[in-house]
Amino acid sequence: MTDAVISTSKDMSERKLGTLLLLPAAALLLLVVVYPITTLFFTSLHAVDNANPRAGEQWVGLANYFRAFDDDRFWHSLFQTVLYVVVTVPGALLVGLGLALLANKPFTVKWPVRLGLLLPWALPLVFCGLIFRWFFEYETGIVNDVLVRVGFEPLQWLSSPTLATIAICITIIWKASSFMALMLLAGLQSIPKSLYEAAEVDGASKWQQFVEITLPMLRPAIFVALIFRTITAIQTFDIPYAMTGGGPGDATETLAMYIHKTTLDFLDFGYGSALATLMFVLSLVLTTGYLKYTRRSASRSGED
Amino acid sequence: MKLWKILLTAVLGVAFAANVAAQQTTLRIFTGGQQRPDVMRKIADEYQKRNPNVKVEVEVGGATSDSQQQYLSTVLSSKDSVLDLVLIDVIRPAQWAAQGWAEPLDSYLGADKAKILPTYLKAYAEANTVDGKLMALPYFADAQFLYYRKDLLEKYKRPVPKTWDDMIETARIIMDGEKAPQLQGFSTAGAPIEGTVCTYLVPLWGAGSDITKDGKLNINTPEARQPFQLYGRMKQAGVLPKNVAEIPTDRIRVDFQAGNVVFAQSWGYFWNRAENDADSKVKGKVGVAVLPHDKGGKSATCIGGWQVAVSAYSKNKQEAVKFARYLSSPEVSKMQAIMASHLPVFPQVYKDPEVIKANPWFAEALPVVETAKSRPVSAQYPQVSDAIRSNMNAYLAGIKTTDTALNDMKSRLTPLYR
Repeated sequence: MTDAVISTSKDMSERKLGTLLLLPAAALLLLVVVYPITTLFFTSLHAVDNANPRAGEQWVGLANYFRAFDDDRFWHSLFQTVLYVVVTVPGALLVGLGLALLANKPFTVKWPVRLGLLLPWALPLVFCGLIFRWFFEYETGIVNDVLVRVGFEPLQWLSSPTLATIAICITIIWKASSFMALMLLAGLQSIPKSLYEAAEVDGASKWQQFVEITLPMLRPAIFVALIFRTITAIQTFDIPYAMTGGGPGDATETLAMYIHKTTLDFLDFGYGSALATLMFVLSLVLTTGYLKYTRRSASRSGED
Repeated sequence: MKLWKILLTAVLGVAFAANVAAQQTTLRIFTGGQQRPDVMRKIADEYQKRNPNVKVEVEVGGATSDSQQQYLSTVLSSKDSVLDLVLIDVIRPAQWAAQGWAEPLDSYLGADKAKILPTYLKAYAEANTVDGKLMALPYFADAQFLYYRKDLLEKYKRPVPKTWDDMIETARIIMDGEKAPQLQGFSTAGAPIEGTVCTYLVPLWGAGSDITKDGKLNINTPEARQPFQLYGRMKQAGVLPKNVAEIPTDRIRVDFQAGNVVFAQSWGYFWNRAENDADSKVKGKVGVAVLPHDKGGKSATCIGGWQVAVSAYSKNKQEAVKFARYLSSPEVSKMQAIMASHLPVFPQVYKDPEVIKANPWFAEALPVVETAKSRPVSAQYPQVSDAIRSNMNAYLAGIKTTDTALNDMKSRLTPLYR
């Protein structure tokens, strides 16, 4: 055999091996991403009459989507979801950044701060919701206890749409900022110390160092954290579900809760799938927006 | 030679074991955490003793009727055969029949159906029959009662109230007299949960009306406003807990047991817990009565209780039906009454001396259960329930008026009753 033949067959077998190694990942993606999303979309074009479910699924085209546009409850739950995104994403970012900066301080004993960072993150969402539900409870809750001690009237936190939304936002921010902090802490630790030393030599103040070094260097970490947080915020379910069950009325119901109710309680799989598809589109649009923005700002900083 | 013997023994042993396994049936029954799975286990043990070929596994899940149904919807929508029997809430048979989840029992019971059905309390025979088919067998009965503090009523020399306004007045007098800021006059379910449907329906029925009339939606009536107006009066008088819109069913019992409630509207399990729980501060002070009504109206109450359904996807339907019939027998009704103060589904069990000894109030409970009414029967009950509970909850929270709550309820119910 000549050398040429050997190298081609080696190329071939390497390519084959490469394809082979990619197969499991591709199959997994097909199975857990492509297949469910296709099924979801397909289901959203059908409807079952639950008064007579045995008549089976009927093809209804886009009727489920038109129904969503006329559905006040859908719009309200969408508004509520967007509200949670708009409040808790920046909220968690600010608190998380503070926590990360604190954890990045050269403490001699680092583990208490880091444990404090990890604990809220490790707590299951439903537990977190239940615990904070007790915190905001009218008679026995710690929040009202504090209010009464400082001389205020106790508040019915979970019976008023505004107060319940505030209580839920506080809980989400508490829960989410530790994840933010972890992501940002990793970013902080990758910033070379020499930059700060050079800045110090040049006489830059701590604030200037933060604005000129820390923030720009942290930018990629911030964006990744923001994307993750935004996507999970769009899917907000557990915490309001455990704290208010959507009440009072449907005031604190999120889109994910409405989808859960429509499919699992009402067994209206067609409409539930249409709502889920809309939620998917919402996350897709927001994530694409983020990615576009990061890519543009990355190329811009490359030009500098 | 030795090896040959061992092999033969092994083969025979396997064959024998397989033979036993063929005769042994394993039945899996699903029950909620609130329906006393411990008592179900004892009943199942008794059944296993009498039927050595049957092994019963009790699966427990879901603290509320809603969360149980969510789990069961998932299992049954995927036609999973893992469950053979399921305890279902009295509100579910219509939906279970429509979805084809429950195996109709008629063909299994044959001529026995006509014999056993009249032995049950009438409401339960009716609740489990959908379009002439028997979808499940009653396991235990339930209804809502008015629980009250005997000691406080005696202290202020007030009779057990007959009308809602009497009750509000009495509650106010006791609250003013006791001067305990924790004390609630009247507590009932107000959170957006299933129990809140009854909070709306009881005064509606008391006014002589119902959600539907001849199968048509019937809430354009002055009576449909009365429940809202009643709770409005209670709020004004300050007898409802301030956070009534956050109160789920079991919270009422917890508050009552802590000595913080004068009157409570709740289910049958309440008395036993308030009288027997180690941490109860109201032992020996718990009175039970018929729920009040409006002046000129009639007392009404919500029917509850749990039924045994055989899953349509079970692989052991014959054996499952046999076990279901045992669970729905006067003997088991009596066992449950004594062990869990579950209300019996057979009228004669209420008069059983041993049952009366364990639950002195059962004699008075029978007429209440006999007149208890069913929540709207619908294949789409979850939507019906959601329309009622979320608007009752919003009204109690003070974010909707009678008009907006009723209009919103109407717009959600209308598509379900076309």
